[in-house]
Amino acid sequence: MRCEETKEHFADFLTGELSAKAKSAVEEHIAGCAACGEDLRRLTEIWTKLNVLAVEQPSPALRDRFYTMLEAYKDGVEAEKARRTPKKAFRIFREHAWLRRPAFQFAAALSLIGIGLAGGFLVKSAGGRTARLQNEINSLRQITAASLLQQASPSERIQGINVSAQLKDPGNNTLGALLDTLNNDPSVNVRLAAVDALFLFSSHPEVRDGILRSFATQSSPIVQTALIDLLVDIRERRAVDAFKTLMGNDRLLPEVKKRAEAGIQKLSF
Amino acid sequence: MTDNQVMLDVREGKVEKLAILFERHHVALYNFFLRLTGNRAAAEDLVQDVFTRILKYRATYMGEDKFVVWMYKIARNAHIDSLRKHKDALSLEGQLVKTASSEPAPEDRVARDSDAALISKALGRLHPKKKEILMLSRFQDLKYREIADLMDCPIGTVKGLIHRAIQELGDIYADLTKETCRHEM
Repeated sequence: MRCEETKEHFADFLTGELSAKAKSAVEEHIAGCAACGEDLRRLTEIWTKLNVLAVEQPSPALRDRFYTMLEAYKDGVEAEKARRTPKKAFRIFREHAWLRRPAFQFAAALSLIGIGLAGGFLVKSAGGRTARLQNEINSLRQITAASLLQQASPSERIQGINVSAQLKDPGNNTLGALLDTLNNDPSVNVRLAAVDALFLFSSHPEVRDGILRSFATQSSPIVQTALIDLLVDIRERRAVDAFKTLMGNDRLLPEVKKRAEAGIQKLSF
Repeated sequence: MTDNQVMLDVREGKVEKLAILFERHHVALYNFFLRLTGNRAAAEDLVQDVFTRILKYRATYMGEDKFVVWMYKIARNAHIDSLRKHKDALSLEGQLVKTASSEPAPEDRVARDSDAALISKALGRLHPKKKEILMLSRFQDLKYREIADLMDCPIGTVKGLIHRAIQELGDIYADLTKETCRHEM
């Protein structure tokens, strides 16, 4: 392979799109050509240096805007369906003569007045629509969180936890899914993310109970420590017994034992 | 469930499933736009715009390509439209050249520590097209064929641009390192 031909493969070399055969040809060439070797070294260095660029996080407002937009879009689609429905109804009316009889029309008019009054009452109720929108956004987030928590990739499950953490009213299913993640997820990082999210919902009695039960089953020292901190932060006095039981474990790491001791002291006054 | 399967569901009317794609991709998209514009608010607006367009054009998704390729096609269009909207008087090419040469590098504003600052600064001085192609290859993990497809150009062009982009980035970075050393002396 000549210099020019070798250089044409440099980008493929870096991006990993080079066949094994071409790769060994490039390596063979640079072993005997100092100039090409230096070129490739420089390119590899700058390609690797791009790793220093941190992944930035957008503001939470972006997520809020997205869910509001999605809900508005859903509403729009439903409104469009509703707009089309009267045309169909009109066609039925036209095709069926009995619908045009005065007795039927009178009854229908009364029903419509009733529906109108009921509808008007609903529309008037202050903030009704805003509250409904909020509820729908909340339930959309719950569905998304549940779906992400089922994914194979740990990073997606962490995203699911992050979405759950943003819920104003998480509901029993989401809380159950978070506790289930804390108990059963194979990844320590995912379990730690679940600890952080559950902290936000610690005012729910079932969350406090669930965390206490989970604490007894955890074997990872990092998760144990995180749960000790959480139980102390939320002033869960029932944790004292759980800490004592844990400290009775001979194989417990000294750091965890120390943290549990400190936790017992903090919860004792 | 793959992105493609989720997007096909969105196309069929289960629009709420777009939330799954948003959760999977909004951070990567945000960083893509942030590095192109250097402006957090603009990057967030563009991410929102991309997902709005995905809904609007969902019927055109055929499921043949990878979802991310289709999404970045939309992302590029959203970025180009936003440049046009904000600078009607200038041609797109003119703006790109102006950004590349005379305006302060947008990345200057987001760079933090020294090495990251230098590499960001170097990226900011790269021609926007080369910067964009480098971002797609290096950070979005797209293959040449996929980048060629979304940029509507031959694979050879993509390869050449990536090569030259890395080479130029290396030169700019070396110059900046020298400049920094001179200032510190």
